[in-house]
Amino acid sequence: MNKPISEMGWDELVPGAALFTFNGNINYNIADIQPEDRMYSETSSKSMSVGDWRVLKPVWNSETCIDCQNCWIFCPDTSIIARNKEMKGVDYEHCKGCGLCVSVCPTNPKSLLMFNEYETTEDALAKWPEKKKKGE
Amino acid sequence: MNKRVMELKSVEVWDGNMANSQAFRQADVDVVAAYPITPSTATVENYAMFHANGYIDGEVMMTESEHAAMSACVGAGAAGGRVATATSSQGLALMIEVLYQASGMRIPVVLCLVNRALAAPLNVNGDHSDLYLTRDSGWISIDAFNPQQAYDMTLMSFKISEHPDVRLPVISNQDGFMTSHTAQNVTPLKDDVACKFVGDYLQVNALLNFDKPVTHGVQTEQDWHFEHKAKQHAALMGSKKVILETFAQFKELTGREYKLVESYNLENADVAIVCLGTTFETAMLAIDQLKAEGINAAVVAPRVFRPFPLEEVAEALQGLKAVACMDRSAPGGTVGALFNEVSGALINTSARPLMSNLIYGLGGRDMTVAILKDIFRTLDKEARDGKLSGKIQRFVGVRGPELSFYETQGM
Amino acid sequence: MSTLVNTQKEIKNLKTFSTAAERFEGSHLLCPGCAHSIIVREVLNATNDNLVVSASTGCLEVCTAIYPHTSWDCSWIHIGFENSSTAMAGVETMNKALRNKGRISADTPQPKFVTFGGDGSTYDIGFQWISGCFERGHDFMYVCLDNEVYANTGGQRSSSTPIGSSTTTAPAGSHSYGEKRQKKDIVSIMAAHGAPYVAQVAPNKWKDMVKKIQRGFDTHGPVFINAMSACTTEWKFAPNQTIEVSDLAVDSLVFPLYEIIDGRELNITYRPKNVIPVRDYLGAQPRFKHLFKPEYEYLIEEWQKRIDERWVFLQKREEIRM
Repeated sequence: MNKPISEMGWDELVPGAALFTFNGNINYNIADIQPEDRMYSETSSKSMSVGDWRVLKPVWNSETCIDCQNCWIFCPDTSIIARNKEMKGVDYEHCKGCGLCVSVCPTNPKSLLMFNEYETTEDALAKWPEKKKKGE
Repeated sequence: MNKRVMELKSVEVWDGNMANSQAFRQADVDVVAAYPITPSTATVENYAMFHANGYIDGEVMMTESEHAAMSACVGAGAAGGRVATATSSQGLALMIEVLYQASGMRIPVVLCLVNRALAAPLNVNGDHSDLYLTRDSGWISIDAFNPQQAYDMTLMSFKISEHPDVRLPVISNQDGFMTSHTAQNVTPLKDDVACKFVGDYLQVNALLNFDKPVTHGVQTEQDWHFEHKAKQHAALMGSKKVILETFAQFKELTGREYKLVESYNLENADVAIVCLGTTFETAMLAIDQLKAEGINAAVVAPRVFRPFPLEEVAEALQGLKAVACMDRSAPGGTVGALFNEVSGALINTSARPLMSNLIYGLGGRDMTVAILKDIFRTLDKEARDGKLSGKIQRFVGVRGPELSFYETQGM
Repeated sequence: MSTLVNTQKEIKNLKTFSTAAERFEGSHLLCPGCAHSIIVREVLNATNDNLVVSASTGCLEVCTAIYPHTSWDCSWIHIGFENSSTAMAGVETMNKALRNKGRISADTPQPKFVTFGGDGSTYDIGFQWISGCFERGHDFMYVCLDNEVYANTGGQRSSSTPIGSSTTTAPAGSHSYGEKRQKKDIVSIMAAHGAPYVAQVAPNKWKDMVKKIQRGFDTHGPVFINAMSACTTEWKFAPNQTIEVSDLAVDSLVFPLYEIIDGRELNITYRPKNVIPVRDYLGAQPRFKHLFKPEYEYLIEEWQKRIDERWVFLQKREEIRM
């Protein structure tokens, strides 16, 4: 696609308003290839960001994380990145800050906590709470 | 082509429904999803019988409603193959939202619409109410006046619909009962000739093409909708070129010539009616008989209703002194569709024939040679008097006192 | 008991599951905390087969396919509100036709056909269409995203809305406690079609859900999955409570997890260690808050009684294998 879609006139659009997820043809089974190796087109929502929906953001503490993948499965926005059975981090372009990952994190202290959007990761990690004792 | 070939005679005796069914069979449709409704039922029944006897390699889906039938056609068409269905009247009304969806999504589908009146009151007979209901749906719409044309038009519909410059669904119309249930001589093509004429289905953005995943049927809001509808309209208007090419190819193959606007005796005429459907052929008889009375009348019918051949209709009606637009549909509080579209065609030309709107034939009420002769005689008188003989819109052939509407002004 | 060949990838645990290559992208417009996308991700990640997906007009469709962006990494079609099931039936039939005619080679692996519809589409406006598809026996999976309301248009009632829920078209007020009608038993209705497999699932119980989805993928014929979709916006709980509310739903047995095979054999697939009171489930959602007024407390008791009776019924059906 040479011209960005927002500049196209009616004559340049795909008939029927059809949208293509990828650029060109793909000659592999999509389910066999991780997203970072796919050629997304500008009309895949992946190319967009909804990061500005957030007021709070989740910060991940890899020290306490046990890679249980609860956060991965319950993220509605495909924003927990897991590779090789390990938690890799939060995709802040697509994270809406719903906080579900924090709710379902089983570790003590949690390995994901919500912080203000403007907080840096280093500062957030420095503030990480201690392990909660029973009954706290 | 289907594996099992049907040996056809050089001249068959088919009614309009059988003509549809045979055209579907020869076109090697991949999926027919349909629901029965009078008077289009036999199109589907004949096809089901062909299927049961091994003449159809494709699939037949008997859905639970007409809306489901068209929905399945759109899904199957988007999947990437040739689809067709048939319906009438209430069934057409039920599936109407899907018609708009099909054309907006640019899915080729062929719909054999056997024209029947819309309720209420309930009526199973032929008139053009369902045809008129499809006016704005974005489909190409072609009209057959007899079973031969029903076969020819339906066959050509596939070729037009799937053309890469078109990719729009097509309605192949015929009068309910008057054409669908009247058996006449039909000269069909042989199976292999018909199949070759229609050609292979061309896949465009097919759901089943896993090399290129595609999203069909999106939502567009105020920032995009207009552009997409503009593009759709441009394609519909541009399909005229492909329709003419297809007509030309068909003429080469069969010797049968079709035009965007059909006419009879236009060269000699002072007055004319404009109509659709079987009335055209009835008018031909009336016109011939009236020559003895010194009346020179013509009949003009848009063969292609959509895209409306505005320029060709205007061209045809130049030089006429009086024109009656005959609408076979309950007008719903205004002048009929043909009157509107024809008047609109003429207003930007210098021609100013006297224009009247006749509402006739509703619910299968017969339009006879005798009545048409009277209509032509009235037109002839109007032409000689230089003014309309009554109000602009008149109901013809209804029992009871005169029913007419709209005064002329300053004439 | 139908013999099933399991061809889907093995998902022993969550870590294995997490190696799935996602086919549902973020930056869709669904609410933060929406269970729909959790369900969709679990369904799509349960298989590596090629997919064709359809959806009805509703939250999922509107939020994942607003021009010019699509969140689907597979072919997808939306036609209208009623007819996502029939659209997929058309695709499935065309697939059959093209294979029979050799236009799709027999070497090409069979794709899976999945349809998503909300409770509005499934229980109400699209009910006839689904029934037709199931009666005709198309080979596809229908997943109902059941949030018990017409969520996309602002929370109007559907025939899935349970008694006492406040919706915009059946609101709680000084003269009404909200929805007066019982929730339609869609799972029984679909099972009565003789479908080879129907099941109720909840995304918080992912292992139960994924097992059923995989079974659905391997079942020939129509499969109906009713997926509980806790709606933060319309059930009015905080976005980070979606899994918590879902847990309350299945542990109170308001949303029992079970399957019915060939329309006859019922298996309960989740038995909570501790069954919690229905009151706790209702109390977690402001759409039921008016039920806690003294004049409506009796409705909570009726709720508990109803859920208890239905649990007994499910267990009895499980016993008699019919």
